[in-house]
Amino acid sequence: MPLALRDLQAAFAAHLLGADRADLTAEVFGDTIPASARLRVYRHHVFESLGAALAATFPTVQALVGADFFRGLARAFVGQSPPDQPVLAEYGAGFPAFIAGHDAARELPYLADVGRLDWALNLAFHAPAGGRLAATDLAALSADRLPSLRLALAPGTALISSPYPLDRIWAASQPDAPAGTVDLDGGAHLLVLRRPDDAAFVALSAGEVAFVTGLADGLSLEEAACRADSGFNLSVAFARLLGLGALAASQ
Amino acid sequence: MDPVAGIGLRAPHLAEIARERPATGFLEIHAENHLAGSPALQAVERLRADYALSIHAVGLSLGSVDGLDEAHLARVAALVRRLEPALVSDHLSWSSFGGRYFNDLLPLPYTEEALGVVVRNVQRLQERLGRQVSIENPSCYLGYAQSALSEPEFLAEVVSRSGCGLLLDVNNIAVTAHNLRLDARDWLGLPGEAITQYHLAGHAVNDADGETILIDDHGSRVSDGVWTLFADVVQRFGRRPTLIEWDTDVPQLAMLLDEAARADRLIAAEDRNAARAA
Repeated sequence: MPLALRDLQAAFAAHLLGADRADLTAEVFGDTIPASARLRVYRHHVFESLGAALAATFPTVQALVGADFFRGLARAFVGQSPPDQPVLAEYGAGFPAFIAGHDAARELPYLADVGRLDWALNLAFHAPAGGRLAATDLAALSADRLPSLRLALAPGTALISSPYPLDRIWAASQPDAPAGTVDLDGGAHLLVLRRPDDAAFVALSAGEVAFVTGLADGLSLEEAACRADSGFNLSVAFARLLGLGALAASQ
Repeated sequence: MDPVAGIGLRAPHLAEIARERPATGFLEIHAENHLAGSPALQAVERLRADYALSIHAVGLSLGSVDGLDEAHLARVAALVRRLEPALVSDHLSWSSFGGRYFNDLLPLPYTEEALGVVVRNVQRLQERLGRQVSIENPSCYLGYAQSALSEPEFLAEVVSRSGCGLLLDVNNIAVTAHNLRLDARDWLGLPGEAITQYHLAGHAVNDADGETILIDDHGSRVSDGVWTLFADVVQRFGRRPTLIEWDTDVPQLAMLLDEAARADRLIAAEDRNAARAA
């Protein structure tokens, strides 16, 4: 009795993720190329293509561990968490957490944070370009109203903080980076941004981090500035964020 | 003659195409690469005024027994509304089961049961988009003992029951025919009036337990055998917009355009032959 289509697709799906399904093999024509070898072509493609998609989304992780090691890491992740939808640019949200729990994280304790940075850059790259607050939007506003303004972060803008110097690690991992070692002392606070033609990040001071976090929490400019240290200059920080396109146009 | 052959619009060529505006029959994009929004989508919108577009989906999973993913379908529909392409297509295959997406064009058994599933899904897709879509013959690495129809017979039934068009991938015919020990000429019996586009691509020749198996990797020039089969196809069905697909080891734009020019020359030669015979 041949498998009904639902059972056939269930068996095929299980095969793709590594199960040995004799009921599926029995459905497949084999000749000088056995049914099992024919089925392997599909399993191989699933892992290779999804691994390539992860490599495209996490290029810095791949640069740090090398293509061969990355393939194994991706393979383990794909087997455990295959995509739940077909847009590959949106696949891999769980990869940084997966890295954190993987043996690789013991030797490279910053690897999961690098993964979070890669993921944030990916989200920023695919974020809408518009909806950013510009200096001209504020021209009509009287200066005394500015401190009470509540401004959200623009789409794709994200703060990534780490006890490791992610900016130096990232720079050293770029294809054109000079050879050398990276001093791992000191953490980093990075603001990831969508720019007109790509995504990028800038380093923030501790005061700017407190300010940006406050804005993200829904505080006004003045309230958010109160969270920052005494050396914080609101107008300088605000002008910087404005220039970076980090703030959303107010509704 | 205006070019009939078009090329895939791929990230490495985007800036050069935007700058040089090369003559080509049309530009093709993969739907799933342009749903997340990106600077690339803005670039496609700018090219829209100067080129006909073809939107090729790879993730609708028209053969899924689960039915279509309505959330994904809504995003594809929004992209189609935004770009107003000349053609929308996906494959005769399945990619999703039980909420998991496998990123591969998986083979269907060609049975009455599968026909019901595919026709229902294609009808839903056409209804949601408010237009005809074209279904592409896949590359197959296996066949099922339970199949009661040949692939061309199955495709002809899908066309007749759903009113969809056919996207005839000549490389996929060559790959499937080789791998499943079939005769490529069987596909020449398809209903030609339903064919809306041809695809051409390179394939890899791999070893499977000592036997050659052809892999549809879109990673090289079109093979001599596929050019020969393409001439038979054009002779049988006539000219159609023809896409050169090259997705892995993407070459310089000039080489891609060169492959498209070769397709144009072959189509023009078949046109002359047909005129002489008439």
